[in-house]
Amino acid sequence: MSAGLFLMARSVDPKAWKGETDAKLGDISARLQDLDSRLAAEKKHSAQAEKSSTQYHGASDYSKGYRLVSEFVAGILVGTLVGYGLDYVFHTLPLFLIIFLLLGFVAGMVNLSRAANRTPPSPEELAKMPKPADDEDK
Amino acid sequence: MVNDPIHQFRIHPILGPWNVFGQEIAFTNSNLFMGIIVLVVVGFLLLASSKKALVPGRLQSVGEMWYSLVHNMVENVLGHDGAPFFPLVFALFSFVLVANMLGMFPYFFTVTSHVIVTASLAVFVVGLVVVVGIYKHGLGWFKLFVPSGVPLAILPLISLIEFISFLSRPISLGLRLFGNMLAGHIVLKVFAGFVVSLVALGIGGAIGSIAPLFMAVALTALEFLVAFLQAFVFAILTCVYLNDALHTHH
Repeated sequence: MSAGLFLMARSVDPKAWKGETDAKLGDISARLQDLDSRLAAEKKHSAQAEKSSTQYHGASDYSKGYRLVSEFVAGILVGTLVGYGLDYVFHTLPLFLIIFLLLGFVAGMVNLSRAANRTPPSPEELAKMPKPADDEDK
Repeated sequence: MVNDPIHQFRIHPILGPWNVFGQEIAFTNSNLFMGIIVLVVVGFLLLASSKKALVPGRLQSVGEMWYSLVHNMVENVLGHDGAPFFPLVFALFSFVLVANMLGMFPYFFTVTSHVIVTASLAVFVVGLVVVVGIYKHGLGWFKLFVPSGVPLAILPLISLIEFISFLSRPISLGLRLFGNMLAGHIVLKVFAGFVVSLVALGIGGAIGSIAPLFMAVALTALEFLVAFLQAFVFAILTCVYLNDALHTHH
């Protein structure tokens, strides 16, 4: 048994094995470490970007929120006015008011989703856009 | 009442009223400030562009920034064929901006805090959108209310909703500007009123009035931002709506 163990140890030659793979492993671990540090840097960078983009921008965010609210309220308001107007003309007071109030609610939702999907650029975003070419030389 | 927060929005005649064809017409403080706004805009821009220096001074620099902000906006949102609308957008932006900014002076009247003014501007803009749309696309423009790919069974319902949605554009455009200015000025006045009534209570009240005073100062800064942003939003939404009329996608 002891001979067998000895043989095994001999045949594998721990020192050589270790030495050979150390070079390879060293290479890989160095690259892994490199990757790790790069990933960490990336993460930190994106976290910072995330933080600055979700930061409170004061009046700019306030105006964006106000815009969405006013789009929604305007839909309901128009629906109510149209419904009340039709009732006023046809003397059917609650009928068209109810129908158009609901339609106005739907239209307000449509407005809301459109306004949220397509926000016009803020002053800061506009400043970052490419400047238009001067058309004075034409 | 001294601290009535609504008092600042009262319209009173300065000249008149005269009786014109059975209508009472007067020159009010609102009219006066509209005139002042136009004078300020024209005067400032004339003054800023009077030197025409190659390296702009302070005044000319502000004038150029003002111009290029709107120019940028029109070019980026409307595209190059939107150039004919630049004077309109510039005039709208300048009027609303100066109206909002003049309103920040104490004892000055804020023209844009009246819904009739902002709604008139908004109805004018959306009316122009309709005219431009029909002029550019003919009766095909009305396809705006008939979205493609909708089953025939629910098409009337969708068209009705689209119609209401379109009608709500001038309302939301006018209401937003009016609401922002009105609410901002009322809140400012209420906080400033707290200071006055707390100081009247004596020494304890005077110490307690520091908090609303701080709020009033902070709100004033916020109001200046809101005044600029609302003018900007009004102008850029005008561009967005005009863009819809110019380049309709079906």
